[in-house]
Amino acid sequence: MPDPPRITLLVDGVEVEAPHGAMLVDAAKHGDVEIPVFCYEPKLGHPVGACRMCVVEIEGIPKLQTACSTPVRDGMVVYTQTERVKEAQSAVVEFLLVNHPLDCPVCDKGGECPLQDVAMGWGPGRSRSVDPKRHFQKPIPLSPLIKIDRERCILCYRCVRFSQEVAEDEQLQLLERGSSTFVGTFDNRPYIAPFHGNIIELCPVGALTSDAYRFRARPWDIEDAGTVCTLCPSQCNIKLTVRDERIERVLARDNVDVDDGWLCDKGRFGYQMAESGQRITEPLIRAGGELRPAGWAEALEAAAAGLREAGERTAAIVGGSSSNEDGYLAQRIVRKALGSPHVESRPSGGPGVESRRTGGRGPAGFLRQGLVELSAPRLAASVSDLDRAESILVLGTDPLHSMPILDLRIRKAVRLRGARLAVATDRPSVLDGGAEETARYAPGFVGGFVSALAAELGAAGYERARGELGADAERIAGALKPGSTVIVWAGPDARGLVGCARALRLEEDGAGLIEVPEGANGRGLREVGCLPVAGPGLSDVEQGLDASGIRDALEAGSLEAALLVNADPIRDFAGGPAWGEALGKAKLVLAVSMFEDASTRQADVVFPAESYAEKEGTVTHPDGRLQRLRPGTPHPGGVRPMWEVLAELGALLGEETGVESAPDALAAIASEVPFYAGISHEEIGGTGIRWQERAAARYWPRVDDVGARDEVPGREVEPAGRTAPEPGDTGGRAEDVDGVIRVGTYRDLWAAEVTDRSPALRFLAPRQALELAPRDAARLGLGSGHEVEVRSNGTSVRARVSIHERVKPGSGFLIEGLGDRAASLRGELVEISKAGEPE
Amino acid sequence: MPETRMLYRRVDEPGLASIETYRRRGGYRSLTRTVKEIEPEELLTTLQDSGLRGRGGAGFSMGKKASFLPRGDTDKFLCCNADESEPGAFKDRELMQKNPHQLIEGVAIAAIAAGAGWAFIFIRGEYAEVADILEGAVAEAYGAGFLGADILGSGQRVELVVHRGAGAYICGEETALLDSLEGKRGNPRLKPPFPAIQGLYGGPTLINNVETLSNVPHIVANGADWFKGFGTEQSPGTKVVSVSGCVQRPGNYEIELGIPSRELIYGLAGGPPEGREVKAWFPGGSSAPVLTAAELDLPYSFEALADAGSMLGSGSIIVADDQVSIPALALRTARFYHHESCGKCTPCREGTNWTVKMLERVLSREATPMDLDIIASVQDNIIGHCLCVLGDSMAMPVSSMVKKFRPEFEEYIRRVASDSPGLGSDGAAGLHALTGTSSLAPASGPHA
Ligand SMILES: Cc1cc2nc3c(=O)[nH]c(=O)nc-3n(C[C@H](O)[C@H](O)[C@H](O)COP(=O)(O)O)c2cc1C
Ligand code: SF4
Ligand code: SF4
Ligand code: SF4
Ligand code: FES
Repeated sequence: MPDPPRITLLVDGVEVEAPHGAMLVDAAKHGDVEIPVFCYEPKLGHPVGACRMCVVEIEGIPKLQTACSTPVRDGMVVYTQTERVKEAQSAVVEFLLVNHPLDCPVCDKGGECPLQDVAMGWGPGRSRSVDPKRHFQKPIPLSPLIKIDRERCILCYRCVRFSQEVAEDEQLQLLERGSSTFVGTFDNRPYIAPFHGNIIELCPVGALTSDAYRFRARPWDIEDAGTVCTLCPSQCNIKLTVRDERIERVLARDNVDVDDGWLCDKGRFGYQMAESGQRITEPLIRAGGELRPAGWAEALEAAAAGLREAGERTAAIVGGSSSNEDGYLAQRIVRKALGSPHVESRPSGGPGVESRRTGGRGPAGFLRQGLVELSAPRLAASVSDLDRAESILVLGTDPLHSMPILDLRIRKAVRLRGARLAVATDRPSVLDGGAEETARYAPGFVGGFVSALAAELGAAGYERARGELGADAERIAGALKPGSTVIVWAGPDARGLVGCARALRLEEDGAGLIEVPEGANGRGLREVGCLPVAGPGLSDVEQGLDASGIRDALEAGSLEAALLVNADPIRDFAGGPAWGEALGKAKLVLAVSMFEDASTRQADVVFPAESYAEKEGTVTHPDGRLQRLRPGTPHPGGVRPMWEVLAELGALLGEETGVESAPDALAAIASEVPFYAGISHEEIGGTGIRWQERAAARYWPRVDDVGARDEVPGREVEPAGRTAPEPGDTGGRAEDVDGVIRVGTYRDLWAAEVTDRSPALRFLAPRQALELAPRDAARLGLGSGHEVEVRSNGTSVRARVSIHERVKPGSGFLIEGLGDRAASLRGELVEISKAGEPE
Repeated sequence: MPETRMLYRRVDEPGLASIETYRRRGGYRSLTRTVKEIEPEELLTTLQDSGLRGRGGAGFSMGKKASFLPRGDTDKFLCCNADESEPGAFKDRELMQKNPHQLIEGVAIAAIAAGAGWAFIFIRGEYAEVADILEGAVAEAYGAGFLGADILGSGQRVELVVHRGAGAYICGEETALLDSLEGKRGNPRLKPPFPAIQGLYGGPTLINNVETLSNVPHIVANGADWFKGFGTEQSPGTKVVSVSGCVQRPGNYEIELGIPSRELIYGLAGGPPEGREVKAWFPGGSSAPVLTAAELDLPYSFEALADAGSMLGSGSIIVADDQVSIPALALRTARFYHHESCGKCTPCREGTNWTVKMLERVLSREATPMDLDIIASVQDNIIGHCLCVLGDSMAMPVSSMVKKFRPEFEEYIRRVASDSPGLGSDGAAGLHALTGTSSLAPASGPHA
């Protein structure tokens, strides 16, 4: 988009240059003039002009004008310091304080309070009001995480606007009116919504305080440390508030290209995991069946000995929160020092993943091709492209759960610009409400849907589907604008996307794909070589086993050692408990972990893992932005930087990396990943840089270089489950079979370790639920809350029934990541039997 | 001087509210001509040439506002403002109750002029009976083909819905009205964008008062020049004026704009009861700065009242005679606006609240002379600084009362010092006499 032309205006007699159309408050900053504001917050959308703090005089307009809502024009003459302006601004401060308690000494906001600052800078100094102030019961819980003090509230509506116009949860409302107005919820219900913590930061006074932070620190006790949240792929930029080497709070560190300045509550309150007293802080070695603390030298030696013995019969599983450096070094140890090709970072696969035809063991080139095509720089959309695209397709994922910040970003595009949204998923999505078109396919049929969509878009080589599937694909295709669409997608089998991308001309500016990986740093780990089918830079390597292959091989004894880096496959990977058995059989399990969990229970050696707050290194955002993790707190106890530990382990195994610092580790990556060439911490800086925008992007592998091409695109559309449907199958057949449901799984936002490990979040931990369409529930004689057993092929999961209108009949959904076998049922036809009444 | 009846012609004829009678008296001829013979642009020109000014408060040219709506076939809307909640105003009620078809015809013509396919009459919730009458009339008009997808087979479409408000004065403010109509909390919106560009559901919207729109069929029937033959150059036409308070014959009077105000108050409404004098009067509803007896000869026109520092507003006169305590009247006025403030912007929300507290202290003789200065200064801090004009609507009359009748306020303060019996501390007492026909809110409201 071209930048708006610059104009010149006169502010207090000084010429100021600013972009045409900027709001006067922002334009004035270019001339170092500060105009005080309360209600203005551009992140919340259009200005509302409610507080009247920002009034200024503009030549030619008799009334004072609100600078927050006045766009600048060339030649505008503005006065911010005249008597009239000063009186009006001082009057607003006086008005605001008429009912404000001024209890700063006991107020959390004190010292970082815009009301204090503005009152000092622009207020009258003393109030003429002698009348009693307005009183409310205070403070009272607005939610389990936030307290509200309505006496301090200055009714700037930021929190309410956030709830209504950003998160669109619509829970916060203004109640009563006039001077009795207050912020609350319908019927006083707790405000429970995944982004609600943002209102604490938005509040310009101490009216909304974080329960976890209340009375913990004063601004002069604390330091800010900027880093990146690695609890999900959104990779929001954050500031840690650190007091006495402890994290007391997490704030947003606005980065419009990443997060728009918002955080989800997981990121905001999940810091408690890093501060948990249950963390492993020393290396542990199993002796006599028990894990016992050991020194680093001893632990490293034990690990090296075991790995040396297993040699090429070793596999590495790298968890999504690992940095690029952790992943790179881990795969290097396994590939180079041990000569094993088995490196995996995808809990349940990724693009071009094992189809039935290759069984995950086919030619690596075939799988790499999908990756190379779909992640190619020319098809890559950036997060900010969502602010420009005329249409957006959300495919196979619900961003609220998989990449929460994108949920807000997509809502913004629809709300503020009227972008056309299409949603095609198996499970009903929270974005459905704002979508122009929605389509539901049966769980596991994403590949079939995508092929049908490609055909409707006119891509060559695809056959139009019949029936409901074809009609759905046609509707979705109709909502998409060629050359101006961003597709946000996730899914194991989406090769048809290549055809869609071509037909939709996604290579054009502002269009493209954003793939939501399963792990926070899924993209980075893939690019530094944590895949069984590709090495660093997606280079051609000997093909290794994928996750389920590794599990089977461990179980069968053909693999003997497992290196788990920040990974708990028992909780997070398909197969769940089956991993326990597999790991139990291994001769050596080396786990890098923050906590004792199901997987460390099988470990022989445990290295304590760093939390994201302690880490130094880089991660790669799903849109290709490399971002820096910077240590905000010291490592607790004996915890050491993982790059250092892995470099030492490599050396013990004869792989000298020469890595002696985090920048060294990045340099090593850059020397092996051609399209990261030359990248450094300095270049990444505070806001990151998309590698696609660097010159080295031209080293992205070319499709032609990549093994055999799959010449018949999209013919294979089967789910990972039992029966392969005919081409053109609507995926709706399961509903014809009495009592049989095809199961889909999804990773609930809160089905994560951080929920269990952060006291503030624990109340959000989900329990396994089977979501059913009302028709199926009725047919199966089930009601909401009934306990059921969901079975297929000897795998069974217990769940409570939850009935949803928008679930497609014949489909049922379970939550992944709860440590049960739900993920193994993905795409399967299951039987359901009642196991208990509602509680 | 007699009334000049245009909108009120035959207003007391039984059955005028029915479509038969209305048509028998020439009703719907203007609409018929509009759809059959007149191009929308020509219609706009006529309305603009007539000089018809809005009767809802601001007095903006109706035709000009209609011409601000962008042309082309985006969805456009017309909203008739029938929220009439300003203390002292009760003219729209009578217009709708007795001659609903005159309004419906005006709405339909104005909608066609503005290119609006959907029209709404947003009627004050308490006017339940009137809303029933209107709904009946709308049904009749649909039945006779004057409303709907294809008016009289012309292909013109105007759908009309009567929407009942939920009882907030602020919903008469045009943008709050739009939010309320959309199902939201009725709070004013920031302008610009103006409703003519971005109004109901984001579409261009024309908003006019009941009386404004009731004028439209007459202008179409008789032409702009005919209309300009009434009233003054800047205030053409007639005006229905609600006169209430201390007068012997309170009620609605339709007059030619520009006649002396004294004619209205004394001639038509009979003046204060025998032996009493006018002390102060609101010329344009309770939000207009008060005028004194010395100003009774001002012509009743937009321009003359504005020149005198007040306004014609909705055209409602409230008279206070020499028995009325001005401080009590000030408190009564302030309480109304405090109660009705939506709370969105700081000066109005806090300023009305603070003013009420201070005036209460004046009335209970707990104030000092300094408080009078603070009251005056707080009004100055409100005026011109709010998001909508409700804040000004309290501050302007209160400020005018403190300025013009300061000695009366000082009386309350001096009496404290001498500890002599006061003037009666119940602010409402002096006003009960005033409120016979006006809609001043009860002093014991939940926020009083
Ligand atoms: C607080 C407030 C209340 C208002 N109430 C009414 C009302 O009840 N009826 C009305 O017609 N206009 C009312 N107005 C004026 C409207 O905002 C608007 O100017 C008017 O409806 C436009 O119509 P007109 O141009 O035909 O006068 C009110 C304005 C304010 C600020
Ligand atoms: S919100 Fe600000 S001004 Fe109010 S008590 Fe707290 S610190 Fe003081
Ligand atoms: S609680 Fe805070 S953010 Fe919300 S309206 Fe009050 S002052 Fe503004
Ligand atoms: S002036 Fe009063 S009524 Fe108008 S927006 Fe402000 S608070 Fe609301
Ligand atoms: S900041 Fe401009 S009105 Fe609030």
